[in-house]
Amino acid sequence: MTMNYPYEDFLDLFFSTNTDTLATAASTSSCGYSLNDLDIDWDCDFRDVIESIMGDEGAVMELETESVPMLHGQEGLCNSASTSLSLADGVSVEEPKTDESKGLRLVHLLVAAAEASTGANKSRELTRVILARLKDLVSSGDRTNMERLAAHFTNGLSKLFERDNVLRPQQHRDDVYDQADVISAFELLQNMSPYVNFGYLTATQAILEAVKYERRIHIVDYDITEGVQWASLMQALVSKNTGPSAQHLRITALSRSINGKKSIAAVQETGRRLTAFAESIGQPFSYHHCKLDTNAFSTSSLKLVRGEAVVINCMLHLPRFSNQTPNSVISFLSEAKTLNPKLVTLVHEEVGLMGNQGFLYRFMDLLHQFSAIFDSLEAGLSIANPARGFVERVFIGPWVANWLTRITADDAEVESFASWPQWLETNGFKPMEVSFANRCQAKLLLSLFNDGYIVEELGQNGLVLGWKSRRLVSASFWVSRELNQ
Amino acid sequence: MFHAKKPSSMNGSYENRAMCVQGDSGLVLTTDPKPRLRWTVELHERFVDAVAQLGGPDKATPKTIMRVMGVKGLTLYHLKSHLQKFRLGKQPHKEYGDHSTKEGSRASAMDIQRNVASSSGMMSRNMNEMQMEVQRRLHEQLEVQRHLQLRIEAQGKYMQSILERACQTLAGENMAAATAAAAVGGGYKGNLGSSSLSAAVGPPPHPLSFPPFQDLNIYGNTTDQVLDHHNFHHQNIENHFTGNNAADTNIYLGKKRPNPNFGNDVRKGLLMWSDQDHDLSANQSIDDEHRIQIQMATHVSTDLDSLSEIYERKSGLSGDEGNNGGKLLERPSPRRSPLSPMMNPNGGLIQGRNSPFG
Repeated sequence: MTMNYPYEDFLDLFFSTNTDTLATAASTSSCGYSLNDLDIDWDCDFRDVIESIMGDEGAVMELETESVPMLHGQEGLCNSASTSLSLADGVSVEEPKTDESKGLRLVHLLVAAAEASTGANKSRELTRVILARLKDLVSSGDRTNMERLAAHFTNGLSKLFERDNVLRPQQHRDDVYDQADVISAFELLQNMSPYVNFGYLTATQAILEAVKYERRIHIVDYDITEGVQWASLMQALVSKNTGPSAQHLRITALSRSINGKKSIAAVQETGRRLTAFAESIGQPFSYHHCKLDTNAFSTSSLKLVRGEAVVINCMLHLPRFSNQTPNSVISFLSEAKTLNPKLVTLVHEEVGLMGNQGFLYRFMDLLHQFSAIFDSLEAGLSIANPARGFVERVFIGPWVANWLTRITADDAEVESFASWPQWLETNGFKPMEVSFANRCQAKLLLSLFNDGYIVEELGQNGLVLGWKSRRLVSASFWVSRELNQ
Repeated sequence: MFHAKKPSSMNGSYENRAMCVQGDSGLVLTTDPKPRLRWTVELHERFVDAVAQLGGPDKATPKTIMRVMGVKGLTLYHLKSHLQKFRLGKQPHKEYGDHSTKEGSRASAMDIQRNVASSSGMMSRNMNEMQMEVQRRLHEQLEVQRHLQLRIEAQGKYMQSILERACQTLAGENMAAATAAAAVGGGYKGNLGSSSLSAAVGPPPHPLSFPPFQDLNIYGNTTDQVLDHHNFHHQNIENHFTGNNAADTNIYLGKKRPNPNFGNDVRKGLLMWSDQDHDLSANQSIDDEHRIQIQMATHVSTDLDSLSEIYERKSGLSGDEGNNGGKLLERPSPRRSPLSPMMNPNGGLIQGRNSPFG
């Protein structure tokens, strides 16, 4: 099964000439109201635009539940004008369902807001107005997937807007969740979806295979957060090694002072938790906390022991304290390569890496990604389920906001390569094959969850988890191309 | 080595043959007049691993393999011929790999053997290798299944530990804040006097012990609410995670159909949640007594309120009118210490270890 989608076509649908229409329609107040009057009849302003888009291209967006691969459907549409015309007829004849049309409208508004907030046609006023309208339409307690998704994106965009434009942004009380809630939500998420564990378990399996005959294992973890990944590694080591052949495990966790004191404290706390856990199961273990002052990493900050096998672990697929700026990851990987690691594991989200494509492209990609995530959750738990609502609010909402911040970052920070595997390939790393056992494990993991998840091979050296036709998260394995002294 | 063997001997039970002798080095040698090395499954496995580490049969040389394997008594001659055979036999192996991923995780032995038999130029010695490979794969799959279960359980336990820690820290912070505020005097609303609070606080409350919280609840509705909410919130989550509720069916959270192939233990150890939809908006379905309990946790956002309420309903809390704090924490079922092994009806969590955690 291939998972590719014609972004170019998709963008054309929206932004060929209609952007101007969208912007000018609101600003010229064709219905005769002033911008500041939020009682504008938005339907009046936007319906024409929406219908013109729909009429021209025959595009029907279904971002509702179970309909993530909308682009797949449109592939056919884009290719022949005749088809699109006939579809346009079909669309305008029958009355679209309220949900669908609302979903469509929300997406249009979101994209419009995103576009208005950055880029050449940046307009603060327009952004504010559109965001206000969005807030009216959605709330995170809403009924449908699309509405909830839109609510989170609206919040994220609003926060960005405030950060950039408001002098003293008020700290919303419901933004700050304490650590216990975040951890609860994280645990719930692990049980709802294989998203988290796919990355952890696949990487762990590869590590176990790579260090099978080593006496001492040293793992350098780029971003350890709670250290959940290592619990299963320790358990595997303990059950494999009985008696004197116990392998000694050492973990060095990095923290960057740029990310604040909280992240440093978290890394230390993780160390305590891991040490306690290791002790309880009888795994020889030691933990080191490597504090970096900047984003730059150098191997001299590490303590190395002779005869140990080094493993580099780079988990980029979950929200973190830090923004995991690309430069920091690059610095880490480049330096770490010189340690001749036995294995480099990389787990990353399949989102918005193409920096030179512009903000809007990345925004749409992000929308697709989270749409797929929401759909995958929906398949397991209905929208009314409180656990799901909890996870969405505490975990996914901030995650969306975090991502939005990243994709609006300055060009200097934005990745200029297509994907992390591509960067590794061209920067002195060699792919490491995925084992049969690892593939088995991934499939088994998926079988614990709903249908709809798929796992595919990613080249020679990786696996990618997807929901229906959307790739969500990839795990890949590497070693240094050359041996360094 | 291989060509001397009869096909019937390729069943992996090398140790049973009387003419085999295990030397000091761990190698199995025959007791023929001319001792020959037996390539046991384990030895072959190590060989294959070593070859894989070195980058495949084409890149590996007998010398490097010998070094990597590190098996005493293994000579270059042994490795040379084994490697040659392996290289010849490697071609069809690639087909297995693709075959097994295409067909799903259970590559049937019959399919693979059929595949093998249809390849031209097969000699019996390669057939033996193939058979070994097939057996190895099936064995591996079973191993993977077992390991996955254990790993997920280990992860769950670890999550529990960090959750507890986070709750404790939170409780500690709030307690500190409470005592500080009480000391100041006017910080509390309601009928809290500074002395009564510090008396009620007493020793730092362990989130799992009830009496201190019951005392606190009588007094106020600020900090206690926070503590209450978090503690019982998380305790309830724990309960669900470990499946104390007998009423819950064995359904993995979010999974619509049970998978008969995978061990039940994994699901039991994981979060259980029924598929019932809890309609948050229809508050009229809540009993009054529950509503009182909910209203007490005033500082919490409404959604979390509903969450608490749902947890309460599920764990079957009974409540009576008027009594404020106590019933939030009353539980009909006996509390299970979270430090005891995660519930697993089939036995220990981590095989072979007697103190899983704590």
